[in-house]
Amino acid sequence: MSAIFTQLNSIGWRDIIDILVVSYILFRLYVLFRGTYVFRVIAGIGFLWVFQRLAAYLGLIVTSWAMQGIIAFAAIIIIIVFRNEIKNVLQAKDVGAIFWGVSHKAFLTPEEIITSSVYALARKKIGALMVLPAKDDFQEVIQGGIPWQGILSKEMILSVFWPDNPAHDGAAIISGKRIGEVGAILPLSRRSDLPSSYGTRHRAALGLSEKTDALVIIVSEETGRVMIAKHGEITEIRDNLALQKSLREHGGRTADDQGARREENLKLGFAAFILIICVTGIWFSFSRGLETLASLEVPIEYQNRDPGMELLGSSLNAVKVHLSGAGPLMRSITTDQVKVRISLGKAAVGLNTFTLTQDNISLPPGVTLKKVEPQVVDVTLDIPIKKELPVQIDWIGKLADHLILESATLEPDIVSVIGGSRVLEKINTIYTEKISLDSINKTGRLSVNLALNPASLKVVEASNGKVVIVFTVKKREAGDE
Amino acid sequence: MHTLIRLLKPHEIVAGCLLCLILTAVSLEAPAQENNGNQKHLAITQAVMCEEIKEYEPHNQAAVFSIAAGKVYCFTSFNPVPRDMFVYHSWYRRDRLITTRRLSLKTPEWSVFSKIQLRQADKGPWRVEVKDHNGGVIKIIKFSITD
Repeated sequence: MSAIFTQLNSIGWRDIIDILVVSYILFRLYVLFRGTYVFRVIAGIGFLWVFQRLAAYLGLIVTSWAMQGIIAFAAIIIIIVFRNEIKNVLQAKDVGAIFWGVSHKAFLTPEEIITSSVYALARKKIGALMVLPAKDDFQEVIQGGIPWQGILSKEMILSVFWPDNPAHDGAAIISGKRIGEVGAILPLSRRSDLPSSYGTRHRAALGLSEKTDALVIIVSEETGRVMIAKHGEITEIRDNLALQKSLREHGGRTADDQGARREENLKLGFAAFILIICVTGIWFSFSRGLETLASLEVPIEYQNRDPGMELLGSSLNAVKVHLSGAGPLMRSITTDQVKVRISLGKAAVGLNTFTLTQDNISLPPGVTLKKVEPQVVDVTLDIPIKKELPVQIDWIGKLADHLILESATLEPDIVSVIGGSRVLEKINTIYTEKISLDSINKTGRLSVNLALNPASLKVVEASNGKVVIVFTVKKREAGDE
Repeated sequence: MHTLIRLLKPHEIVAGCLLCLILTAVSLEAPAQENNGNQKHLAITQAVMCEEIKEYEPHNQAAVFSIAAGKVYCFTSFNPVPRDMFVYHSWYRRDRLITTRRLSLKTPEWSVFSKIQLRQADKGPWRVEVKDHNGGVIKIIKFSITD
């Protein structure tokens, strides 16, 4: 327990921001995609990822590998298959909706769908009979229902009661979010005190309401009036709000919009809480796992060099950095994430010795420096100067025994070279690249490159660092060979 | 002579002696100046690398020498040589001084040579700097040792 508190105490403000940012991104994805198939697939991929990590932890190599492949493939599939849904989320809504807006009512409730359908039918004067069962079983009372099992929608209801539909004459049984049956024949009421304006549809509705606790909605074909029948009573409904209220009361849902909103906010809050817990857990597993040591060979970067100076050389090109941190962090760390920098702002011409400290090394968050090897770096800086140097040919190979290379001259035989003063101080001759004698058998000329060592040297001449060798070859006198 | 001395007054004799001294000094100075005007500087007439020396002459002058030849000579001729003196042949391989030979010259003209034995490790570009007795470089000869 104390270990947990110790770890919690070690969380800095950066870590809190880290957790909150990731949690918020995930929460936004949840808000934007909840209720869609994309969300379900993403949740599925999340589950696969957890499974893959578990397989990797247990050493199930093939399973882990297969899971990785499926996850990668699924990510592509999401983008391709659900491109329209993703486009709708990203395009149809404004920027505010993407980053902080919350759509409280993503989908219509069954009551709203039914209400809007009923009044659409009423306006068109299309007769309709809809049964919303309560607790009583009425299967023995109704007859001839055609199984439908269609998801409730306004279009579906309108098509069921469309006059040309063979099943439009009976009643539609609506249970929850589905239309269970259509074309159901309801028992007729035998009451004799009903107004003459009531037709068969009204009698059927009343008949069922007398025998069960179901609510029946009637849309009159002649007048377009909407009525409901319940507990053997027929009531005319004047507007859609009244119908919605009746439907809610029938379904036992007396809560108003505010209550629903509260419930939704609670749901969102719970989702946010769960996400923060999950991200915190992942963060702890990444940053506060078992300490792992790693060594990296990191190249040294030099900065703030005086433009008038030249970096002539250093005792080291790279240093070995010993790091420690959580296992997952250390496994994913690369040399690109670790920087070893030496500022040459105060360096002078000649040899400069730098001792590497923590200030010279930048590390990713959660990783600590254990040791740097070697700690001391010698850097030599120089001022570039120009010097005229004679050129000499660097012959190699073997000339044929019967030949003598009598003379060889260079054009030019002196070149101007720019380089560090300390380097040029020690150089008295510039040599050509190695010229092979093996193929030389007669007098001629060759255009050759200069071998500039160190490579930082530059030839001033416009001949692109080339010189021409003019050489004379003669045959040995008899007896000399 | 005695008559002449008797005829001259003492101050005239002193003045005459001084004049004689001056004339003697001038006559002694004049030949020395003439001698300085005729003094000649050391001049190099030939500086070559060769495979061997035959009859005091360089034989098979070249710019490239094979290790198989075993040795290489630096031959230099001077004319005039104003007085007996020394010159130096400094042998460099890739700017590193390998050896320096002190060679004596005699008037009025003289030729000298130096040589080195060739080994496998000697392959590469070489130069010989011919220097006077003061160390001033008179001539540089470049050559290569190859397979």
